[in-house]
Formats: sequence, structure tokens, C-alpha cells
Amino acid sequence: MWPHRRHDAVIGAWIGVTVRGVDDSLDNWFIREILVHERALMRYLLRSWYRRDEIHDLRQDIYVRVYEAAAKARPAMPKSFMFTTARHLMTDRLRRARVVSIDAVGDLDALNVLIDEVSPERRLSARQELKQLTEAFDRLPDRCREVVWLRRVEELPQKEVALRMGIGEKTVEKQVAKGMRLIAEYFYGGGHAHRSRERAAADAEHGDGHGQQQAD
Amino acid sequence: MASSRQIELIASAWLSRRDGAEWTAHDQLQLDAWLQESTAHRVAYLRLDAAWRQSDRLKALGAGVPAGAVPERGAWGMAPLPESRATPSESGIDGEPSAPARVAAAHRSSASSRAARKLPKSPPRRLLRYATAGFALVVLASLAWGWRHYAAVDQASYRTAIGGLQDVPLPDGSVITLSSDSRILVTLSRNERHIDLQQGEAFFKVAKDPGRPFVVSAGDRRAIAVGTRYDVRRDAAELRVIVTQGVVRLESDNGPGGRRRPSTLLPAGSIALASDAGVVVNSGSVQQAEEFLSWRSGFLSFHDTPLASAAAEFNRYNARKIVIGDASIGSLRVGGNFRWSNAETFVRLLELGFPVRAVHGKDVIVLKSR
Repeated sequence: MWPHRRHDAVIGAWIGVTVRGVDDSLDNWFIREILVHERALMRYLLRSWYRRDEIHDLRQDIYVRVYEAAAKARPAMPKSFMFTTARHLMTDRLRRARVVSIDAVGDLDALNVLIDEVSPERRLSARQELKQLTEAFDRLPDRCREVVWLRRVEELPQKEVALRMGIGEKTVEKQVAKGMRLIAEYFYGGGHAHRSRERAAADAEHGDGHGQQQAD
Repeated sequence: MASSRQIELIASAWLSRRDGAEWTAHDQLQLDAWLQESTAHRVAYLRLDAAWRQSDRLKALGAGVPAGAVPERGAWGMAPLPESRATPSESGIDGEPSAPARVAAAHRSSASSRAARKLPKSPPRRLLRYATAGFALVVLASLAWGWRHYAAVDQASYRTAIGGLQDVPLPDGSVITLSSDSRILVTLSRNERHIDLQQGEAFFKVAKDPGRPFVVSAGDRRAIAVGTRYDVRRDAAELRVIVTQGVVRLESDNGPGGRRRPSTLLPAGSIALASDAGVVVNSGSVQQAEEFLSWRSGFLSFHDTPLASAAAEFNRYNARKIVIGDASIGSLRVGGNFRWSNAETFVRLLELGFPVRAVHGKDVIVLKSR
């Protein structure tokens, strides 16, 4: 139950402060140790996986597996654990698709994780994080950006944001939802998925299949 | 099961409602139930919730900005980080400056100079926004459609006579062009769009629907796509798949004795021939692949094609068959564009240009060497 979880989180935070200085609830662990590496993960997935449209789904599966595994025991090295999970998942998917052809072998080779991706993480300074956050914010569409500003920075309730902007409350709620999704994509994921999606859309329009050639 | 994007949409809807004023204990219970349903729900929720909480730190930017005024993009007056420290920050977490990060950096500096000079926003940015909005619309539309057809299973079969050509529009927006003397069975269900190619050839223009793969099966093989254009042709001994857009996965059932047979990824421009011996893929340009599909506009194009194959091509479309009377002429090479409905003209041209003589029968035209 969520209220219990929340309660746990609060107690966890309290224990954390006194004992280790870190809130150790599973949810917080996940945000702190896994989500922060989404940018590197997305880069890895985009390089290794042949179907761009599946990457969102793949990322979800990776998170689910990591979260469920961590519920039993927290991995000692979260970042490399996540990349290992990613590789296993992709291999599984290829097997399920029964791909053993030459193309697939190429794909499997690409599954090798580069050393720099699992190297000990370099934490961002608070200032660098703010910078990334600002960039994410600046990439929001106009209306969405305005809603996020009024709601988050000026801390106006949604109702007042609606009044101020002369739009419906439902619209504000929708823009808040959109803002969250985009900020998550840009701030955690570095916006890779968006870029590639637009590129894919452009490719589809021209129907030229650039970069999709393959040797005999 | 809902797709990851659907889950993300639902999670963001929950969070934005909770962010509003009228959040009740009952709402909380419903949200709890939803989170309990699956870990996928929980991780999507956690991710968005964390991002939203992060955005709280934007308050740091609000200092000195008058209430109600949303600052322009890039107008943050944050001193750029010294060059030596800039690299790790640009590349995010792993140190290697990535191309996107560099692009972002370039974009940012242009954005700030723009803000300083008050130039109008650049069109690419606007375009990007429309592209995103358009994509969202497409996703929503396909979601809506998927929902309406939640449990429905539609089944219909189509066939063409020799010389017939038929466009079959499907309710999902896909269009199938059925070639001469062909037969398909279309089954649309919640999880899959399944077309059983029972005979002949068809061209598939597939509407994007990530949640429902588009599967064309022919005997023990399947050509699978999400949003793409491709052609599948079934002959007695082999299956031909031509891809003109997107990627198609060609799968096979296990061979005799449960032996596993590989599946193959076919990018645009591929011409794959699958027979008992395996799959041969010829990868060329999309234009080359398109040439094989000129039947859709009533033509057959040949490039250095053995006469025997060309005759077989004509025979797909005509009741009156061209028969190679002497094995020696079957290997003559022919080229050019021909209307498939006009085999007689083709034969006449052969007689003019090759040592070939045609004997016209009632149901057949026999070609002999002169």
C-alpha cells in the first residue's frame, strides 16, 4: 500500500539521517542509483538495439528487472548491474525472436558494454545538475514551459495557473503531465529517444531507408 | 498488456492529478491499487515523480524574476563553466562528450545569443515541436483505436482472379495491394494484425501500431513489421520478401527434427528469398527493390532477366501461359518494362529481337528457337 510505503520512506529518511546519511528505501535507491544513469543507458540501447520503437519498452523492462532484483538484494554495483541486465534482456529478446542469422550475430557483438559505460560513475555537482535541468526546461514547448514555471517556480496551484493563462484546469493538468514526461526524458534520458524518434519519422517520410543498408 | 508508453501516460496522468487541488483519499487508494498492479507501473511512476520533484529546483532560477513573467529560453545568466570542467558536465555521466551533448551545447549558446539580440525563434525548433505534437497525436489516435477494438477479432478473406489487382484497406489504416491470382486471410485482433498469405503475392503498406505487430505468414514462415512497406510473394518452393521501407523480421518455424532455423532482419532495400535451403538476402537500394513491385501499376520490369523467369512472371498475371519450348532459349536475357496484361506484345518483341519463334495455341504461347 502506498501510504505505508510513504510512511516507510519517511522513517527510512529519518534512520538514514541518523545512521548513514542516506535514505535507503527501495524507491529512493532506485532513483538515486539507477535513474541517474539513464543517459548512459539510452546511449547504449540506441547503439545496440535495432528497433528504435522498442527502446522505450526495453528501458521499462530493464527498470522492472532491476527494481525487482533489488527488492530481494541490492546489487553492490548498481550501474554495472543495470547494464548487465540490459544485455541479458536484449539477448533474451533476440533468442525469443529466434534470430541466429548473420545480422543477429552483429547485433550480439554490439551488446558488449563499453568499459566507459560501466566505469565508476562520476557524480554531477549540484550546479551541473541544475544546468541540465535548465536545459530540459528550456526544451519544453512554450505553453508547457509556462505552466511548469508558474506551477513549480511561482508555486501557484493548478487552478490559478489556469486563471492566469486563461486556459482550462484540465488543460493545465494535461500540460503538467506532459511537462513531467518531457523533463524526465530530457533530464534523465538526455532526450535521445526524442531525437531518434524524430529522425525515424523523417526517414519514414522520405522512405529512403538511409543507413539501413546491409551487406549480403 | 499495456505498452510502456501507455503506462507512462497513465503514470503522468496520476501524478498531475495528485499535483492538483482535488486529491482525495479515494484517489490515493486507486493510485495505490494501480501501483500495486505491476512493477512496470511503479518504476514509471517513480521516474516521473522523481523528475517532477527535481523540477522543484528550478526555483533557483526564479530569484530576481518578477512574478508572472516567464523568462525567455536561455536567459539564465549562469556563468558558463570553465572549459576544463565543462566536458564532464556536457557528457552527462560517463565522461565521453557525446555528439548530442555537443549539439545541445551549440544550441544553448545560440539560444542565449538569440535571447540577447531578441531575434525570432528559429524555425527548426518550431518544427521539432510540431513533430513532437504530431507524434503524440498519432500515438493517441492509435491508442484510441486500439481501445475501441479492445477485444474484437475481425476476420475476412480476399482473393483475386488471374489478371486481377485489388487494394484492400484495413481498419487500422494499412493497405494491402493484392496481386493477380492471390488469396489472403486477414485476422485483426488486439495483439496482432495477422495476414495469412495463402497464395500469390501482396504488397503491404503498414500503418504504425507498435502495440500490434503486423505479421504476414506464408506456410511456416512469417514476415513481421510494425510500420513499414513490404511485399511478400509465395511460390511453390520459395517465399520472396521485398522491403521498401522500415525493417521486417523474417521468421521460420523449426525445420525437420525440431532443428532451429534462423530468423533474418531485412532492412529497406532487401530482397529475401526463402526456400528449404535457407534464406538468401540481396541488399540493394530501395529503388532497385521498388522495381520488383512495379506490378502494382500494371508493369513488369526486367533487368538482364532469364527469359524463363520473365515468362513465369507474365504467367502470374495471364490465363494464357507462355511456355518455353526449347531449354536453350530459357536462359536468354531480357530487359525492359512491359505491361503485364499484354503478353502478346512481349512475345512479338521477343520474335523481333531474339532467335525465337512463337507458336500461338488456345491456352498457351510456346516459344521455340529459330
